[in-house]
Amino acid sequence: MARYLAGRFAQALLVLWAAYTVVFVILHVLPSDPITLQLSAGGADISQLTPAALHDLKARYGLNDPVGVQYVHALWHALHGDFGMSLTQNVSVGSLIADKLPSTLELTAVSLPLMLVGGFGLAHLAVFVRWRPARTLLARLPAVGVSLPQFFVGLLLIQLFSFSLSWFPATGSSGWRSLVLPAVTMSLIGASMLAQLLTRSFDDTWREAYIVTAQAKGLSRGTVQRRHVLRNACLPALTLLGILLGYTVTNSVVVEAVFSRNGIGQLTQQAVLGQDVPVVQAIVLIAAAGFVLANLLVDLLYSLLDPRVAHAAGTG
Amino acid sequence: MSTSYRHRPGRRLAAAAVSVLAAVTLAACGSGGGSGSDSAGAAPGGTPVSGGRLKIAFYGDLQGCIDPNQVYWIESRSIDRNIADSLTDQDPKTGKIVPWLATSWTVNPQATEFTFRLRDGVTFSDGTRLDAAAVKTALDGTHDLGARSILGVTYLAGYQATTVVDPTTVKVDFSQPNAGFLQATSTTTLAILSPATYRETPEARCAGKVIGSGAFTLDTYSAGRSVKITRRAGYAWPSSLVTNKGAAHLDGIDVSYIGEDSVRVGSLTNGTIDIAWPRQPISSADQQVITASGATIETRALPGIAGILTPNVTAGRPLADVAVRKAVQKALDLDSYAKTVFWDDYPVARSPLTSTTPYFTDESAKLTHDPAGAAKLLDGAGWTLGSDGYRHSGGRKLTLTYITPTPSPGDQLIQDQLKKVGIDLQIKVLTIAQLTPQANAGSYDLVATYLTRADPSVLGSAIDQAVSKQYTARYSQDPATAAQVSRLFVTGQSTVDPQRRASAYQDLQNYLVDNAVVFPLYDRVQTAGVSKKVHGFAWTSEAFLRANDIWLST
Repeated sequence: MARYLAGRFAQALLVLWAAYTVVFVILHVLPSDPITLQLSAGGADISQLTPAALHDLKARYGLNDPVGVQYVHALWHALHGDFGMSLTQNVSVGSLIADKLPSTLELTAVSLPLMLVGGFGLAHLAVFVRWRPARTLLARLPAVGVSLPQFFVGLLLIQLFSFSLSWFPATGSSGWRSLVLPAVTMSLIGASMLAQLLTRSFDDTWREAYIVTAQAKGLSRGTVQRRHVLRNACLPALTLLGILLGYTVTNSVVVEAVFSRNGIGQLTQQAVLGQDVPVVQAIVLIAAAGFVLANLLVDLLYSLLDPRVAHAAGTG
Repeated sequence: MSTSYRHRPGRRLAAAAVSVLAAVTLAACGSGGGSGSDSAGAAPGGTPVSGGRLKIAFYGDLQGCIDPNQVYWIESRSIDRNIADSLTDQDPKTGKIVPWLATSWTVNPQATEFTFRLRDGVTFSDGTRLDAAAVKTALDGTHDLGARSILGVTYLAGYQATTVVDPTTVKVDFSQPNAGFLQATSTTTLAILSPATYRETPEARCAGKVIGSGAFTLDTYSAGRSVKITRRAGYAWPSSLVTNKGAAHLDGIDVSYIGEDSVRVGSLTNGTIDIAWPRQPISSADQQVITASGATIETRALPGIAGILTPNVTAGRPLADVAVRKAVQKALDLDSYAKTVFWDDYPVARSPLTSTTPYFTDESAKLTHDPAGAAKLLDGAGWTLGSDGYRHSGGRKLTLTYITPTPSPGDQLIQDQLKKVGIDLQIKVLTIAQLTPQANAGSYDLVATYLTRADPSVLGSAIDQAVSKQYTARYSQDPATAAQVSRLFVTGQSTVDPQRRASAYQDLQNYLVDNAVVFPLYDRVQTAGVSKKVHGFAWTSEAFLRANDIWLST
């Protein structure tokens, strides 16, 4: 098990390094100059600077060095948690991220359970209800959820729960009330995808021979579902959950814009539009780390839930 | 120059969808049509009562800076106006400069030497006295910011020194005429902050280490998230434009940022906020929603550069030919632009300057829609109409490339108007990061710009090659035209005599329109949705918020 873990950890580091490098290369072949961009963000123009001032400015951001040296420098500092200065906002990338990350993490922490409850709940209902029309309806519902655009759902929820019923605030990030609508919006697609997948695997598992055996033993429908179906059917769902969790940053871009929350999503949008290279780089790394971590967790859970995996890992 | 931060693309559809939805919902709820406001000016809504916090939501805070000396972001300047005072103030109705921290001033005829007498008994909120030395520290400090203060650079062009004559008299010297400086002293950019402020780094000042002498003090500033300002007890030195001569009526103001138009409007109508303050004019659908809730729409035509297009007249490009430029001018239907993009009685552009800018000249007689005239000019210039509906010359199609960071329905309208005379307008939407290098390289034919300042010299910062290195200046005139334009700007800047300034800027506006150096498109209007609870709402000359007279009824 220790060897398995070490292997997975090395793999995770490799993925992070690759993500960092690819982003570095892509951002550095873009046909624009960070200094020009930074100046234009301040409303100034590069031609207003004296050559000496320009040189100083470039030196400040380490842009006079060859690209290779810049890369090694950036990587070395990134390893120490230092992502440099934001080009458009005049503060360190670290402090920007530290400022915005908690709000996004909070949102994820609330939307994840909602996603699980929604996904598993709906799938359960869909296989458990016996009346055919209701069953069909419940099985089709996730398809609707997946195809609804997030911004539309968000605005609809705001209209209903903020403006008409005044239950929850439409904007801001203070108190649990302001978390409800964004978290629901954010969890919707994930919950629908989970429900879709689970409904199918529940259906498949119910047709397995060992279920017939279980039923023949005289177990109730509920017990069979809980003990046998769920455990076997939830394995693919777990994989999906890892991927969904990894999409946190992507999801937060839209949700944070609609609900005026000041988090990583908003920062991403600004940084990408302004080609704020160090910020984009740091965000990609965080997103990649999220992905890697989520998948690592899922793999570890797999070995707990599925003895076959644990066995393979032990011998392999 | 500041075209970059308007509405974000992609939200338009969402906003439209929801404003329709909101309209329907509201209609269904049958909300009583409370009409009329008593907000503007002296309050007929009763005697002002003290207390309450005003909640205002702006569109965004992309610059993330609150220092009045550095910031160009309109929304931050609205907040700054209430925490920092300036030497002078400007009457929004007449454009006249009136006393504030300075009780009187003299200017030499060359407009290079400005002497201010300061008001007595003014203190900053840290207790420091406002005296001549403090003013010197402030002006020197703003000048030292250099390019960090993009507006300051133009306001203080030619700044030499500030001299303390005696404790209540300061003299500001310029190495070149700067007639616009007097108006500049009324802006938030040249607001006078406490000497302690200038000992902080520019970054710290941006993040909120600013101390002014205003009617409110800054409590907290969290970039892009919220701002809280609180009434300053004992405030007693407002400008003569303010009715309330003492401390503000409000306990304080809470600012939040809501990027999504529909959410901001909904928050106003359901009472979460008291003022909804967008960047772009509130759409007519949203205006209906707001007025149906009993709130009112306040508007002020913004002074400064109108929404204009500047051409690229580099040799070999179609717009190098003045006949083609004039044809473009004639092909544009400004009247229908205002009606279609905004609303029915939206002010139509009548000059490269907006109608509320001092020394604005009405050029509308020369800006009429005349497609037949345009066609004649293009025929004369050798661009003949082909079978495809577009004009060609020597096998080349008359194509103009228009680059923009913010797609607007107005772009398609212009495209359509130009097509009617056979000009093919290619709209290229670029992110600001792509636009800057492309514009600097001159690979475009038309580009849009605007800027707010209540002095006609502001136009120079966009198109005067002697002052500005912006692409809007560099590529919009050939050397001969540029020399003429610069000469007219210098004439306007080198006298403080209103009559002579008026005639100089009239000549300038005539010249710009006659030679199609810029294409005026639309007048600019700042709008705000104001709840019926709010009384005494007032705009400054540059259409920022002035909260001294605001009070809340319950």
